[in-house]
Amino acid sequence: MAEATAHAHHGPSPQEQAENIKFGVWLYLASEVIIFSVFITIYAMFRAQNPDTVFHVREELGIALVSFNTFLLLTSSWAMVMGLRAIQAGKQRALMAWIGLTALLGTAFVGLQYVEYTELAHAGVAINNTNASVFAGFGMRFYTPTAFHGAHVIIGVIWALWVVWRAWKGRYSTENYVGVETFGLYWHFVDVVWILLFTLIYLV
Amino acid sequence: MATASLPIRQEPRISAGLPRVGEFMRWSVDHKIIGVQYMVVALSFFFIGGILAMLMRWELLTPDVDFFGDGAVYNSAMTMHGTIMIFLWVIPMIGAMGNYVVPLQIGARDMAFPWLNAFAFWIIPPAGILMLLGWLVGPAEAGWTSYPPLSLLGHDGQLLWAVSLHLLGISSILGAINFIVTILNMRPEGMPLFRMPLLCWAVLATALIIVLATPFLAGALTLLILDMVAGTSFFIAAQGGDVLLWQNVFWFYSHPAVYIMVLPSMGIISEVLSVHSRKPVFGYRMIALSSMSIALVGFTVWAHHMFTSLTPELRIPFMITSMIIAVPTGIKIFSWLATIWGGKIHFTSAMNFALGFLSLFLIGGLTGVIVGSVPVDIHLHDTYFVVSHFHFTLYGGGVMGLFAGVYHWWPKITGRMLNEGLGRWHFWLTFIGFLWTFLPQQIAGMMGMPRRVATYDPSLLIYNQLSSLGAFVLGASALFFFYNLGWSLARGRVAGGNPWRALTLEWATTSPPPPLNFYEDPVPYPNPYGYGSDAAREYLDEQQRRFPAALEAPTDEGSTSASLATQPAGTSAGSSAGTSAGQQQ
Repeated sequence: MAEATAHAHHGPSPQEQAENIKFGVWLYLASEVIIFSVFITIYAMFRAQNPDTVFHVREELGIALVSFNTFLLLTSSWAMVMGLRAIQAGKQRALMAWIGLTALLGTAFVGLQYVEYTELAHAGVAINNTNASVFAGFGMRFYTPTAFHGAHVIIGVIWALWVVWRAWKGRYSTENYVGVETFGLYWHFVDVVWILLFTLIYLV
Repeated sequence: MATASLPIRQEPRISAGLPRVGEFMRWSVDHKIIGVQYMVVALSFFFIGGILAMLMRWELLTPDVDFFGDGAVYNSAMTMHGTIMIFLWVIPMIGAMGNYVVPLQIGARDMAFPWLNAFAFWIIPPAGILMLLGWLVGPAEAGWTSYPPLSLLGHDGQLLWAVSLHLLGISSILGAINFIVTILNMRPEGMPLFRMPLLCWAVLATALIIVLATPFLAGALTLLILDMVAGTSFFIAAQGGDVLLWQNVFWFYSHPAVYIMVLPSMGIISEVLSVHSRKPVFGYRMIALSSMSIALVGFTVWAHHMFTSLTPELRIPFMITSMIIAVPTGIKIFSWLATIWGGKIHFTSAMNFALGFLSLFLIGGLTGVIVGSVPVDIHLHDTYFVVSHFHFTLYGGGVMGLFAGVYHWWPKITGRMLNEGLGRWHFWLTFIGFLWTFLPQQIAGMMGMPRRVATYDPSLLIYNQLSSLGAFVLGASALFFFYNLGWSLARGRVAGGNPWRALTLEWATTSPPPPLNFYEDPVPYPNPYGYGSDAAREYLDEQQRRFPAALEAPTDEGSTSASLATQPAGTSAGSSAGTSAGQQQ
């Protein structure tokens, strides 16, 4: 995000710029919602028309692993909120610890998703399944949204590490924590998308 | 910069000086530099896209494939012409106009996110080059709509096309976020939303569409790219995919994109018509709100592009929503007519193009109602009638408006006037050439000439030859435009701060403005279109004293030394001179 330091005397005040940045991130997330909605709609239509295929996949794949993974991601959102609270109270080290935990849990989530992908691949669910397989058509509609989400988690982890690094440099304070807040908006968004995907793909 | 404004603020100023050429060639976070960068890139691609159009019209002089030698070459020229004109000319041109003018109009020092602004721009040149590189590996041939299965059968160029479009989409989303935040959060005291210049309203509506519609294109392109490289089959019917999926998602973006392309021009002509006819905008609120409602309703009409491929039951609902779009558009057209009605019209080039917009876009809109009617569309779809229709909206509307904007704001951007004589040549050749090109296409279309092919039935020869001749006139008109730009930079008269005596804030500074735009905190005039009142006259006279047309004429032999009353070439009396201002109010 841009920081108009060069314009400090003329442009918006730091508070105004913080509001601008948050507003900008909200708009960015609105556009993300729409990209995800394309993939989610495509899956939902497939789910409605091919209940048997989805049943076969669920037989292959328990729900235990993914439930644990969802728990990890939810916990990471909690850690993120704790980090924000820490910096609002001026606690730099606590901020670094909590956001570091967020990054760790995010990494674990991606790792376990990889484990699940491997299991599915062994079971024969591939991205290019054609009509010949019992999983026909499922793979691409499953891997695309989940991998796209996974990519967002990876970017989120990198962003979290960047926040930790900036915290270590002492860039945040009780007045200036918009950088933590915007990361929080993004991370919550990634979390909410996962809850949607989890419900739609594994539960419904 | 802060220190500079105090000691010399009472001194009259003409210009802050144009930045050196090198400034435009490298990374800059100044919205004015970025605006010019957008404009130069967009104009370059306009030239390339125009050449492609000329080649296509040359091919269509005869019913058989001869010039290109192979129909596939024609297909790729057509594909690139469409894509370049939409994604690398009109849409970046919105970035140009919006970037340069919007922060100035709302009295801001820069956009909300200057760094992001530069980043959004710098995605465009590599993306454009990537698209052109397609020629080396077998170019895209599936048309700008890139329908599968056609788009999945082609060469590697089709993949480059998709990746390039993806990048352009990211650029335009980032730019749009910047516009929304800037317009909503950075207005000064004394400028509530409903006192904001109408260009800002139009850019706001456009940016909202971009943020909410372009991601659909991004989603669809992602899937198309996966189908090409990852072995998925989202759009391959034989392997469990769905070709209609592409059409639905693509048009859910691309119909709103039509309004992305025309709304900014509507904003531009709202400014130009009012300023150059010296009258307040009629129905300000209705023009502003109709922009927003066009943006909104634009999301509900996409399937009128699919009348012939969609479930028949859905045709009527989409016909109705399409017709509804005509209501806010009609409100705008009548408001514009009422704006110039009884005004003191100055037939400047900017005004000519704005009036050209009114007449040509009207035809575009009315033919839109015709092809929006299901029974007629069943007959006319995929014919040259449709080609003619959307050129009337996008060239007759969008591009005419952009030209009006360039003639209107060029003096602000460069500090120099364009040549009005050349401008008139440009306008009349464009206007006549345009009608000459696209009216015969309407007839050819009604007689059943299909679009997107290099050959046609010999009985349609006369319409195609007429159309091609008109197209060459249209092509030649652009040369006058480009020559005029160069002429102005070399020899144009010094413009002064406010050559058109306009009330919006971008004119309340020198031309070009200094790096942070204003010499002190700008105070907006209460009504941005309050022409014709004594208060406005005094305000403009005071401005004229501070930012005179010319104190001295450094290189321009045409303007009188030390004269405050230098008159821009070709404008009617009083449009620049403070002394004769009373006449034109």
